[in-house]
Amino acid sequence: MIDFQLIADSIPKMLVGIGLTLELMLVSAVLGTILAVILLLMRISGRRYLSWPALTYIYIFRGTPILVQIFIIYYGLPQLDFVRESIFWPILREPYGCAVLALALNNGAYMSEIFRGGVLGVDKGLGEAASALGLSIRQRFMYITTPIAVRLAIPAYSNDIVSLMKSTALASTITLLDMMGIARTIVAETFAPYEVFISLAVIYIIMTFFIQKGFGYFERYMSRYLKRDA
Amino acid sequence: MKQFIKLTTMAAIAIGLVSVTQVQTATAETLRVGMECTYAPFNFKTAEGNLDGYDVDVAKGVAKILGAELKFVCQKWDGMIPALLANKFDLVIASMSITDSRLEKMDFSAPYRISVGRLVGKKDMGIKLFDDGGKPMADNFEGLKIGVGRATTYAKWFEAKLPGAKVVYYDSSEAMYLDLTNGRTDMIMTNPMKAFLKFLSKEDGAGYEFVSPQIDETKFFGIGVGIGLRKGNDELKKRLDTAVLELTKNGSLKTYALKYFPFAIHNEGWEG
Repeated sequence: MIDFQLIADSIPKMLVGIGLTLELMLVSAVLGTILAVILLLMRISGRRYLSWPALTYIYIFRGTPILVQIFIIYYGLPQLDFVRESIFWPILREPYGCAVLALALNNGAYMSEIFRGGVLGVDKGLGEAASALGLSIRQRFMYITTPIAVRLAIPAYSNDIVSLMKSTALASTITLLDMMGIARTIVAETFAPYEVFISLAVIYIIMTFFIQKGFGYFERYMSRYLKRDA
Repeated sequence: MKQFIKLTTMAAIAIGLVSVTQVQTATAETLRVGMECTYAPFNFKTAEGNLDGYDVDVAKGVAKILGAELKFVCQKWDGMIPALLANKFDLVIASMSITDSRLEKMDFSAPYRISVGRLVGKKDMGIKLFDDGGKPMADNFEGLKIGVGRATTYAKWFEAKLPGAKVVYYDSSEAMYLDLTNGRTDMIMTNPMKAFLKFLSKEDGAGYEFVSPQIDETKFFGIGVGIGLRKGNDELKKRLDTAVLELTKNGSLKTYALKYFPFAIHNEGWEG
């Protein structure tokens, strides 16, 4: 039998953690996007000493589970004395810093591949036309390639943000009390995983809905140069 | 003559038999004691195959006071209470905590081990956390990071008593000790016996020590561990209580504990 009273009691408690969940998502999305752009520029630079490190990075971070990355950063790094004595320790000391770092590093790798897909999707003819009009390589990239690449990348990018939002739940494994962390504490106290986790799933689904809606508007805005049928 | 010798030997044998049976009835009480036999250092088998541990010592001490013979029965934990109720043994001396739900099915003697929490932190922290009466000083806990197990009684105690401290929840004690040594938390609160066996007595715990007295609020941590017996044996229960009290007063419980821990694990101040 489902305990509705428990659901009603635990949802407000879990919502206390929504701020942390959103913050983890937004901060690591911004940092991940910056990292992704750098990786993208390195990859398409045409210079081996830049493209190879980027390729290796992407290969490693896409090839390992994010939970493993979180554990290596949180539990592994402090085992090295020089890490504990470095200037980065104030960040790595905090579970929040470790979670943001792991999420950003991981998503940077995925996002850079998404952006690369966008850049490669831009019609070659547009670049040639711009070149014929006398635009420099830099101008072509800024004013022709980028806007179109961004629009092409939006659907995949929004997918990645949704997946990032769900990945924030892994932060609960390193003592953070995001919505998942609070839910696990409630379950440990009430032994009612069914009610609590299903309520939590519903909250995540609602958040996903709003993220997708937001990106839907953004995609339409970026596509306004295209002739709309009907 | 032969006949007479025969008769007298037979008589002697008969008398001997009678007296043997009489002696046996006089000390016939044999208490069968159920325990896991695998729960070191409380009840376990040594390399030679003998039973040893704190629970075993308590059982022997109680039996000596009661003048009873002991027979140990090894029983898996999940079948312990059913086996007691099915008369497979008479007593449970197996580190079983006294809880309300267990008291519905069985009786317990007075506790021979207490449930307490204790804080572990770096040696020489230089913060006075408890006043001389053993009460926590809330102001000095302000902003300190304390590691506790998720949804444990220690977590509840901190939430109720010291809301100013920043409590961090852990799912495994290994992670909790790791974060303490990494400097992510200032202290942890846990069961002092576990802290000693798993951390303080090990290499990793070398720079750490108990930084609080034993905190024994029964409202949070329970009454402790008692000798379990079937209901309706009030006479036996009374004798067990007396025996536990005697073991407390004559220092035996402390001696038993010091074999495995550097501190006593029973209520030393108990006066009956």
